[in-house]
Amino acid sequence: MSLANRIALASPQVRAVCVEANEFPRLSAEFGVRGVPHTVVNRGGAFVGALPERDFVAAVLEGAGIPVDEGPGPGGPSTELGG
Amino acid sequence: MTVIPEHVRAQLKARFELRLTGPVDLTLYTRPGSSRLILPAGLGCATCEDARQMAELLRDAAPEKVTLDVVDTSRDQGRADADQVNDVPTMALGVDGESGRIRFQGLPTGTEFPALIDAIERVSRAEHSLNAVSLAELAKLKEPTEVMVFATPT
Repeated sequence: MSLANRIALASPQVRAVCVEANEFPRLSAEFGVRGVPHTVVNRGGAFVGALPERDFVAAVLEGAGIPVDEGPGPGGPSTELGG
Repeated sequence: MTVIPEHVRAQLKARFELRLTGPVDLTLYTRPGSSRLILPAGLGCATCEDARQMAELLRDAAPEKVTLDVVDTSRDQGRADADQVNDVPTMALGVDGESGRIRFQGLPTGTEFPALIDAIERVSRAEHSLNAVSLAELAKLKEPTEVMVFATPT
């Protein structure tokens, strides 16, 4: 969650919301939270687990509908962008 | 104070004294509590009182730097709507009176508490520590973007 907060600090377009999953079970269920950290961008694309900075930023851009043009992006077994 | 023990409060005060360099505006969106009773959705708030005490402790750890505005959404739903706050308790961090873009929804205890402290310090220092490549990528964002991170205390 620290990385999301840092991104919000760096970009005036970004709002980071850290949600206590146990306290909001309906919201957690709505977004299919089964493990944490579970990150959801614009209430659409999601990924589970901690990502390095480059991949996290790429995932945010992709979730916001901006094409990511280099590298393997946020891929990997724990990523389910577009879900 | 049940949320933060005395020795942590003392540590917090010492830490903030060293690390906070600029102001931090803390806004707590809350609702009258219901103790620990779990009520149907929309009624009461089991953790709002603890959240209020935590927010007051954060302010009291550095009152010259940290301001606290408590918004009772049962009395001022318009403010919650304007700031796009859907649930309580929500703690928002910002500066210069802006609606805080770093938010903690629910009581940030356990592993979330260090993240809250880190966020307060970073806001105070305007210190995101992202690299230049990330900043260039983030500059492509032209529309408001929400990043929700679900976490648990343990």
